[in-house]
Amino acid sequence: MGKLLKKEMKLTASPLSYWFILFSFMTFLPGYPILVGGFFVCLGIFFTYQQAVEYDDITFSALLPIRKKDVVKAKYAFVIIIQMISFVLSALFTVLRMTLLSEAKVYLVNQMMNANLFYLGFLLLVFAVFNTCFMKGFFKTAYRIGKPFIIFCIAGFLLIGVGEMLHHLPGMEALNSTSGTSLIQAFVLLFGIVIYVVQTLISMNSSERNFEKIDL
Amino acid sequence: MESVLEVKGLSKKYPSFELKSVGFHVDPGMVMGFVGRNGAGKTTTLKSILNLVHPDAGSVRVFGLDFMENEDVIKQQIGYAVGGVSYYNRKRICDIVAVTKMFYENWDDSEYKHYLNAFKLDENKKLKELSSGMKVKFYLTLALSHHAKLLILDEPTSGLDPVSREEITDIFTKLAQKGVAILFSTHITSDLDRCADSITYIKNGELMFSGNKSEFIRSYTESMGKVPSLEEIMVFIEKEEVVL
Repeated sequence: MGKLLKKEMKLTASPLSYWFILFSFMTFLPGYPILVGGFFVCLGIFFTYQQAVEYDDITFSALLPIRKKDVVKAKYAFVIIIQMISFVLSALFTVLRMTLLSEAKVYLVNQMMNANLFYLGFLLLVFAVFNTCFMKGFFKTAYRIGKPFIIFCIAGFLLIGVGEMLHHLPGMEALNSTSGTSLIQAFVLLFGIVIYVVQTLISMNSSERNFEKIDL
Repeated sequence: MESVLEVKGLSKKYPSFELKSVGFHVDPGMVMGFVGRNGAGKTTTLKSILNLVHPDAGSVRVFGLDFMENEDVIKQQIGYAVGGVSYYNRKRICDIVAVTKMFYENWDDSEYKHYLNAFKLDENKKLKELSSGMKVKFYLTLALSHHAKLLILDEPTSGLDPVSREEITDIFTKLAQKGVAILFSTHITSDLDRCADSITYIKNGELMFSGNKSEFIRSYTESMGKVPSLEEIMVFIEKEEVVL
């Protein structure tokens, strides 16, 4: 599996998948729907799949002396690594916004989502939606990328919309606080972690089964 | 002598095409031409052998081992290439090799250098910068550098100019002399004249013949009233009247 992961990173990956991690810096943007940064990180991963189809990477991988299901595992490992680097960066920037930059003028009045635990929980949900819609959708055919990506775009932006709307509802203002002591925010983060782990595992298992069945 | 590849009763049904119980065997040092028209089922058969396509029935044994049960072990000793396909088009040869070699226990750098020189391949070139003929040579280099004993090649000479085709078929003959077994699909009969020892002929998914090349020619000598060339046999078998 380690060798296949190296292959993913050195041969299959589009450089854009790495560059688009920098969209995590959107965490710092004031007055902007910062969850869109998570969408762009997923868009970067999508470019790798566009390239993989062009390179006929799946056939090349399936012909290597490996177990076929390890191809799927390595592809998920690559996606998880990109998402986790982005998540850790976003978490660091969130801590900065909640501490050193908490009094910064640009953040004091913000109609949009603040960088806090609620944001991090929703960021994981955006990644979970990508792994469910795009990754699982791709491995149904191992060549079709358009339809699963469009489904992810629709679901992802709906989720971002819900995230941006929630803290405007009466009684839900705490979701946007930057004090760092909100229990409800911690709950959303925990919920995001659980959903990300569970959905990614379900998606990977389903992709392994589908990949064994399809004709290349 | 044990066969390197033994295919029995390979079947696969698609809505508009059926591969019907195809079977043949390839021995060490044998060059087998797998012949048929476009759409006859050559690629489906080769992909079924390699488990890229899942056959509905049949068995594949390589080096005496069942392919399905020993896939990773067997793939250590085989090479596969498709004419006209470019894996990792924008990557340099040396980068593709650096990754590919990690997977093969028997990877031999001196063999790799040997074939690189023999085929005049520049490892700093990107794959897209290679001609179709050079790409086939690169895939052969990859296979031979891990001491593949069986090469499965899908239309390796299609789209190549006559000189490159002759070069590739000469390489096949020399590799067979070293004991490498080669199964290659083609519809270009002149390639078979040059290098094939045996022929497996497939028509509309059905096996018509598998055996020695001279036997194949002999079997059509009486019905055609002369000693036919492979091209004449193919036209004799396949020609259909076009009603306009």
